[in-house]
Amino acid sequence: MSRLRIVLARFRGVFGKNRAEREFEVEIRFHLEREIEKNLALGMPPVEARRQARVSFGALEAIKEEHRDGRGLRWLDEFVADVRHAFRGLRHRPVLGAAAIVTLAIGIGANTAIYSAVSAVILRPLPFTDPGRLVMLWEENPEKGWHLNVVAPANYLDWKAETPAFKDAAAYFAYPNTLTLTGSGDPRVLSSYSVTGNFFSVLGVRPERGRGFADNETWRTGSRVAVISHRLWQAQFGGSDAIIGKTVQLDASSYQVVGVMPASFRFPATDADVWTPLAWDPAVRAQVFFRRAHYLRAIARLKPGIPLAEANAELQVVVKRLQRDFPATNRVMGAGMTPLQAFLVGDTRTPLLVLLAGVGLLLLIACANVGNLLLIQSTERGREAALRLALGARRGRLIRQTLTESLVLSACGGMAGLALGWWGAGVLGAMQPGILPVDHIGISWDVVGYVVAIATASAMLFGIAPMLWIGQREPGDVLKDGGRGSGASRRMRAWRRGLVVSEIALALVLTVGAGLLVRSFQRLQAVNPGFEPNGVLAVSMNIPGARYDSAAKITGFYAELLQRVRALPDVRSAALVSSLPLTGGVGWTSDFTAAGRGPDGYGTEVAHRSVSPDYFRTMRVPVRQGRDFTSADALGGAQVVLINEALARSYFRGQNPVGQRITFDRVPDSSSTWRTIIGVVADERQAALSTSTQIEMIQPETQAPSTFTNLVVRTSRDPLSLVPAIRATVKQLDPTIAFNSAQSMNEVRDQSLARARFLMTLLFGFGAAGLLLASVGVYGVMAHMAASRTREMGIRIALGARASNVQWLVIREGMLLTTGGLAIGLALALAGSRTMTSMLYGVTPTDAATFVVVPAVLVMTALTATWLPALRASRADPMKSLRTE
Amino acid sequence: MPQPSPLLKGTLDVLVLKALSWNAMHGFEITVWLEDHSAGHLAVDDGALYQALHRMEERGLISAEWGITENNRRARYYRLTAAGRSHLRAESASLVRYARTVMAILAERRA
Repeated sequence: MSRLRIVLARFRGVFGKNRAEREFEVEIRFHLEREIEKNLALGMPPVEARRQARVSFGALEAIKEEHRDGRGLRWLDEFVADVRHAFRGLRHRPVLGAAAIVTLAIGIGANTAIYSAVSAVILRPLPFTDPGRLVMLWEENPEKGWHLNVVAPANYLDWKAETPAFKDAAAYFAYPNTLTLTGSGDPRVLSSYSVTGNFFSVLGVRPERGRGFADNETWRTGSRVAVISHRLWQAQFGGSDAIIGKTVQLDASSYQVVGVMPASFRFPATDADVWTPLAWDPAVRAQVFFRRAHYLRAIARLKPGIPLAEANAELQVVVKRLQRDFPATNRVMGAGMTPLQAFLVGDTRTPLLVLLAGVGLLLLIACANVGNLLLIQSTERGREAALRLALGARRGRLIRQTLTESLVLSACGGMAGLALGWWGAGVLGAMQPGILPVDHIGISWDVVGYVVAIATASAMLFGIAPMLWIGQREPGDVLKDGGRGSGASRRMRAWRRGLVVSEIALALVLTVGAGLLVRSFQRLQAVNPGFEPNGVLAVSMNIPGARYDSAAKITGFYAELLQRVRALPDVRSAALVSSLPLTGGVGWTSDFTAAGRGPDGYGTEVAHRSVSPDYFRTMRVPVRQGRDFTSADALGGAQVVLINEALARSYFRGQNPVGQRITFDRVPDSSSTWRTIIGVVADERQAALSTSTQIEMIQPETQAPSTFTNLVVRTSRDPLSLVPAIRATVKQLDPTIAFNSAQSMNEVRDQSLARARFLMTLLFGFGAAGLLLASVGVYGVMAHMAASRTREMGIRIALGARASNVQWLVIREGMLLTTGGLAIGLALALAGSRTMTSMLYGVTPTDAATFVVVPAVLVMTALTATWLPALRASRADPMKSLRTE
Repeated sequence: MPQPSPLLKGTLDVLVLKALSWNAMHGFEITVWLEDHSAGHLAVDDGALYQALHRMEERGLISAEWGITENNRRARYYRLTAAGRSHLRAESASLVRYARTVMAILAERRA
C-alpha cells in the first residue's frame, strides 16, 4: 500500500471505528470458539476449555485496545476525543464558556473588521494589468514648497518621450470636472475626468463595450468623444449596446460615446461617470503656459524588469535637460516617481495601522481575560488532573488536552468573531466618510485566513497559563492538600497578578490613543473657520460653456441669477464664490508682486478666488480695511482685488495695502495686468479646518468669470428648505442647468471634521471596550483573591479588626497592581504615541492633559473593581468564613 | 511435550508469512499450523499474532478478506501478496544466515 493509502485507511479507522471494531470482534470471537473446540476435543471439561482458550488469548481488551490503536492514527484519535471532552466541559460550565467565547468574539470581531479595511485598502492590488509596474510621476519645487505636486503638460510630454524606461505614460486632469448631461430626461450632473488618449491602455484595462481613446485623441481632433462608466451605462442608458456611437449632449456640446468601461474600473475616483480626452490644441504645445500651469497627474508604466531606481535615474536626466533648456519655468522644478499603489494609499496608511494596533491591544486584553477564566477552571480541576497523573496518564497527554480545549474555545470565539467582524466591516464601509478609496469593505479569503491565524495565536496565548499549570503540578501535592496548597496558591497568585498588571497596561495604551484623538478632535472642532456657517446654504453648479461662451454672457447670467435669488422670501443675502471654504481647494495659485518692490520683492503661492459683491456679508466675514466689491466693479472696469489678512500680515507688514497695485506675475512686464487693492478681509480656512489660512487674492467674479460657481445664500429658515425654490429659480433661467450639490455650510463644516470624527469614534469605541474588558478582568481576579483570603479576614475580624481595615488589605493589593500596570502602560504609551503624530491636530503625542486624565480614569475604574469584592469579602460572617475549609 | 518457548522478537512475522505461503488461512489456522510445524516447541501469543497480521496487512505484505469456513462460519482469511512473497524470501534468507552464524559461534568448544 502506498503511504497515502495507509494514511487514508488510518483516517477511516478513526472515524469508521465502529464497523472495523465490530468486524475485529467477530474475527476474534471465531478464533476463540475454535480454541475452545480444540480444547474440548483434547478432553478438557467445558469450563476448563473456555479458561484455557481465554488464557492463550491473553487480555482480550488489551488486544482490542492495541488493535484499535494500531487501526487509527493515535494522535487524531486522541484529538477527536479531546474535542468531544472540551465540548462536554463547555456544556458543564456554560457561564464560563459563554464569557470566554463572548470576550474572544469581541476581540476577534474588532480585528476582523479593521483588517478587512486594511486588506481592502492597503493590501489589495490595484485592478489594473501588472500594477506593480505602474508609477505616479510628480513634480517638486523647493522654493514654493511643492512636493508630490501635479505636473505641467509640457513636462509630462517631454518625460514621456525621453525616458527609455517608460513603456508608455498617460496623464489625467487631477481635479474632477462636472459635465451636465442633457437631452435625455432631467439634466444630470456627471463627474468627469479629462485624460490622455493612452490612459486606458497604460493602465491596461480594456473597455467592456466599444473602444477606449486613441493616442492622437490627446490632441484636438475636431470631434468630441467620451467613454462612460458601467454604472452610468446601466443607470442612464439601460445597459443597451445601442449607446456605442450615439451622440449625447454634455454641457451643451455634442459628444460621441465610443466605449463603456467595466464596472470594476473606478479610476481616478470611485464616482467617475465619464472620461473625455484632454483634446489639447496642438498650437499650445510650445507655449510657455503649457509648461507653467500644473494640473495633471501622470502615470507611467515601466518596461518589464527595470527597477524603480533605474527608471528614476533616467527621469532625472530628462529633468536636468528641462531645467537647462527652460529656465523661466523649470529652473528649480524637480520630479520623481512613486509606485502607484503606495501613492494612492498614501495618507490612509497611518490611521488604518493605528486602528489595527488598537484592536490588536483589545485582543490581547481579551486573551488575558480568557486566560484568567481558564486559570479559574484549572484550580478547580486540579484534583482531577492530579488523579489522572497519579493513575499513569502521560503529562504530555494532559497538556495536549488543555491545548485542545483552548483551541476549541478560540474556534468558537473565532467563528463568532468572524460573523461579528463581517457585520462590523459592512458598517465600517457604509459609515466611512470617504477617507478610504473603496466604497465597500467585505470579507475576503485573506481575512478568513487572518482570523484563523489570530484565533490560533490567541489560543496559544491564553492557553499557556493553564498548560504550564498542569505541567508543573505534582500530583502528590494536590491530593494531599485538597487542591489548595500554599505552593500552588502562590504560583497561581503570581500568574493572576501578572494578568492584572498586563491588562491594565494594555488598557492604558489603548485609552491613551483614544484620548489623544478625542483631544485632537476637540481642538479641530474649536477652530474658527473664519465665517459664520449657521443659516447659510451652498449650491454648487456649472453652466454649460458652449452656450455661455463669453465673459459677458457668464456675468450676465450670474447677475440675473443673483437678482432673482435675492428676491426670494426669507433670503437675507446671496452671493457667488468660485470655491467654498473648507472644501480642500484653493482654486489656482500664482506668483505676485506689488508696484514699487524691487525684482526680489515678489511673492509666490498666492491663492485665487473670485466672488460677487455681498459674499463677505453673506458669510459674515469681516472687512477689515477698505471696502467690499460693489456692482461698480464690473467687467471691463478698473481691475481691483481684495486681499486677506494673512497676505496683509506677511507681504504688507507695516504698510497700508489699500490703494497699492499688484500683478500676478513674479517679474512684471508690459503685458502684466495691474490691479488695485481696495480692501482687506478677514481670514477664512480655505482648504480645511486643520490647514491654516493661505495668503489669498480675491477678484470680483465680473472680472474673472468662470462657468463653475457656488451660490451661497443666507436665510432665516433652515437652509436646505430653500433648495426647491432656488432650483425653480435656476430652472426658469435655464432649464439645462443642474446642481452639482446643495448643502448647508454646517454640513460642509461637518464634512471637514468627518475624517477626524470617524477615527476618533472608532478608537474611542475600542478604548471603551478595552477598558470594560480590563475592568471585568480586574474585578474577576480581585474577587477571587479576596474570596481566597476569606478565612484570613474572618480571623482578623474575630480578633477585633474593623471591616474597613480588612477591606484596605485587599484594596492595597489591587492598587499596587494597578500602579505597576500604569507604570508599564505609560512607558509603552509614551513610546508608541509618536506614531500617531500625523493623525493629531493641535495636540502633541505626549499631550499632558491626556496623560493625566486617562490614567486617572483607569485608576478610578480599577479602584471600583477592587473595592466591590473587598466590600463583599469583609461583609461575610466571620464565623462562617472561619468554618470554611 | 517439552515446555513451548516464546518466539524470538521479530521472527513471528516471517513465520506467519511462511505459513501463508502454503495456503490462505485465518488466524486460528495459522496458530494451529505453527504449533504443528514446530512440534509444539513454539508458543504463539494470539494477541501478538493479530498485531503482526494487522501490521503486515498495512504494509501490504498480506491481504485479507472475509470467507466461509467448512463449518459455514464467517472467518477472515489472509493470503500472501507478491510483495509479501519477496519479503518472505529476503527475510528467511537473512534469518537462516543469522541462525547459522549464531549456531557456528555457539558450537565452538574451548580447545
